[in-house]
Amino acid sequence: MSGFLRGIPPVAGAILCSLAALAGPLPPDATYRPLPTLPLEAVKANDEAEKPQVMQRQADLLAQRYDLSDRPIPGVMMSGGRKPVQGGVRVKLPPGVTWESLAAMSPDEIRERGLLPAGLMPLPHVKQATGGQVFPNQEIDEVRRQEGRDLRRFDVDFDLPDRFTPEFPPPIFLTSHPELGDVSRGQLLTIKNYYELMVGIITPVQMEGLRLLLTPFPQEEFNQTEDRKSADQSLGVTCLDCHANFHTNAAFHQTPDVRPQAARFRLDTVSLRGLFNQQIHGSKRSLRSVEDFTQFEQRTAYFNGDHVSATRKGANLPDRTNQVAMMAQMQNIIDFPPAPKLDPLGHLDPSQATEQELAGEKVFVGKGRCGECHIPQTAFMDNNMHDLKLERFYEIGHTVNDLVMLPDGAIKTFTLRGVKDSPPYLHDGRLLTLADTVEFFSLVLRLKLTQPEKDSLVAYLLAL
Amino acid sequence: MHFLATVSSIAVLLATPAWAQTGNPAGMTPGTPQTAPGVPAPHQPNQPDRLFVREAAIGGMAEVELGKLAAQKGRSDAVKEFARRMVEDHTKANDRLLGLAKQDGIVPPDELDREHRAMRAEFEKASGDEFDRAYVQGQVQEHQKTAQLLEWEIGSGQDAELKSFASETLPVVLQHLRMARNVEAQVTGKVP
Repeated sequence: MSGFLRGIPPVAGAILCSLAALAGPLPPDATYRPLPTLPLEAVKANDEAEKPQVMQRQADLLAQRYDLSDRPIPGVMMSGGRKPVQGGVRVKLPPGVTWESLAAMSPDEIRERGLLPAGLMPLPHVKQATGGQVFPNQEIDEVRRQEGRDLRRFDVDFDLPDRFTPEFPPPIFLTSHPELGDVSRGQLLTIKNYYELMVGIITPVQMEGLRLLLTPFPQEEFNQTEDRKSADQSLGVTCLDCHANFHTNAAFHQTPDVRPQAARFRLDTVSLRGLFNQQIHGSKRSLRSVEDFTQFEQRTAYFNGDHVSATRKGANLPDRTNQVAMMAQMQNIIDFPPAPKLDPLGHLDPSQATEQELAGEKVFVGKGRCGECHIPQTAFMDNNMHDLKLERFYEIGHTVNDLVMLPDGAIKTFTLRGVKDSPPYLHDGRLLTLADTVEFFSLVLRLKLTQPEKDSLVAYLLAL
Repeated sequence: MHFLATVSSIAVLLATPAWAQTGNPAGMTPGTPQTAPGVPAPHQPNQPDRLFVREAAIGGMAEVELGKLAAQKGRSDAVKEFARRMVEDHTKANDRLLGLAKQDGIVPPDELDREHRAMRAEFEKASGDEFDRAYVQGQVQEHQKTAQLLEWEIGSGQDAELKSFASETLPVVLQHLRMARNVEAQVTGKVP
C-alpha cells in the first residue's frame, strides 16, 4: 500500500457504512419478475393489437442498420448444402465515413463524433421490455407439424430475414461415428422421431439424454399460467427448440445475468457443436461443465435467471447424477462439421487450401490477432472470457428500442469451427456476415487491416 | 464539441419514445384509459411510474441540497466543481420531473427521506478532506443507484413522457457517475 493511501483516515468509510443501513433499496421488480396485473385475455388482446407496430419498429431498426439484401457468396453453402452463405459487409456506415476513415480515427474521436456504425452496437430484442424466447418460423412450423406443440408467440415474431440464419434443419455430426457423416437424415430431431433416427447409432445412456433434451418443460413465455405468450396453455419448450439438431436456429432471448430489464442484452443461441472441447459455458456465466450448463439452463435460459418465477410456473430440476449426466453425454458426442482443409491440429493443409485462404490464416494468427483468443489447436477457443470494451467507441446510456446501450463486459470466446454455419455473429447476433465480423474486429482491435487482408480472412473463416 | 455531439446523438436516438412499449407483465393497471389497445392514454402513470417519481424526486432533491453543501464545504477544487455541476444539472432535471409528475397527478415528496437526511447530517459534521471523501463516495453510490432506477423505469414504466425523461437523463447520470468516480480517485487514490 502506498504511503498516500495509508495516510487516509478510515472516517469516510465509516460514515458511508453507517448510512448504508439506512439506504432505501431499489424496487424489487428491478431484479424479480413481477406478477401480472391484467388477465391473460386483456394482455393477449393488447399484445396482438400492438404486434404490427412492434414488428415494424424492429424492421425499421434492422433496415436502418443493415443491408438486408440477398447477396450469397457464389458457390459457398453451409455444411448441410441447404443454404447459401451470405456475403459482403452488411453494416451500414454513417454518411461521409468509410471503414478506412474510421480505422484512422481514435476511439475517442469516433465516440465524440457519434460515428460508430449502429450495426456494431448492441442489437435490441424485438420487444425489449417483454423479452423472452423468440423462435424462427421454420422451427415453429416444424415443431407444430411433428408434435402439435405451438412455439408461436402472440406478441412478437422472429425479426431477422431467413437468409441470415443457419440452415434448417442443420446436419448432425457425431464424434462417435465420424464415418457416418450427417446422421440427421434431413430431419429436425424432436420427441417424436428421435428414437427412430438414433436407435442403433447411439448408446442407451445417450438415448435417454437425448429424450430429456427433447422433452418440453415449462418456460417463462411457454407455460400453463396466465403469465405466458402462447395462445394456449403450453407444455413448454425443449433444449433443442433453440439448439436445433444440437446446432442453432438463431432463436434468441436475453441475457439472464443482467438486471434491470432495459439493460438485458440480446442473446443469439449458440451452437452445441464441439461442446466436448468447451471448458466454460454461458456467455457470461462461465459455468465450468456441460453438466452445470445443462442443469442451470432450467433456471436461466428457461426462466431468465429468476428461480422464483421458475418455481411458480413449474421448474424442472433434472437429477444431477442420473439425468444430467446422460444429457451431458449426449451433448458431448456432437461434432463440428468436417473441415477437409484443416490438419488434425487446426492448421490449413497447404496442399488443400487456396492461396487466399493461406494468406487469411497468416492474418488470423498474425496482424489480425484473432488467434490470440481463437487458438486453432484448441478448437479456436481459449476457454476464457474477454471484454472488448466497445464502449470506448460510443457514449453509453442511450436507449434504442427500449434497450439501454451499455458496456457488454466480458463474454466468453466462441469457437470458430464451422463458423460459416452459424450466422448471425457475436453473442447478440448484431453482425450478419463474416465480412461484418472482420470489420468489427478490425476496428475494435485497431488492426487497420487492408481490404485484401480482410478478404483473405473471410476466405479463411469459410474454410474452418 | 463533445457536449454538442452528445446532445445531437441524444436527439437522434430518442426520436422513438412515442413508440416506447409497455411489455412488463405488471405494466398496466386494470381500467387504464387507452388511445389504442395496449397503448395507454397520455399521463396515465402505472405503479412503477409513481414509485419512480418518488425515488427520483428525493434523489434529485438530495443532489441539489448536498451539492450546495459541498460547493461551500468542499476542500478540493475538483469536489467543488463537481458539486456545482450537480446543483446545476439536477435543478434542471428536478424541475422537469416535477412538471411531469404534476401532469400525471402524482404528488412528489417535498422533503428528503431518512437516508438522505442522515447523509446530510453526517456531511454537516464532517470537514476538510474527510468531507470531500464522504461526499464524493456518497455521490458514486447515489449515481450508481440512480442509473439502475432510470433503467428500471425505462423497462417498467408506462407514461411515455416519464420514460422519455428517464431515457434522456440516463446518459447524463452515467456521465456524472464517471465524473464522480474520477473525483473519488483523485481524493482517495481508489482506481476510477
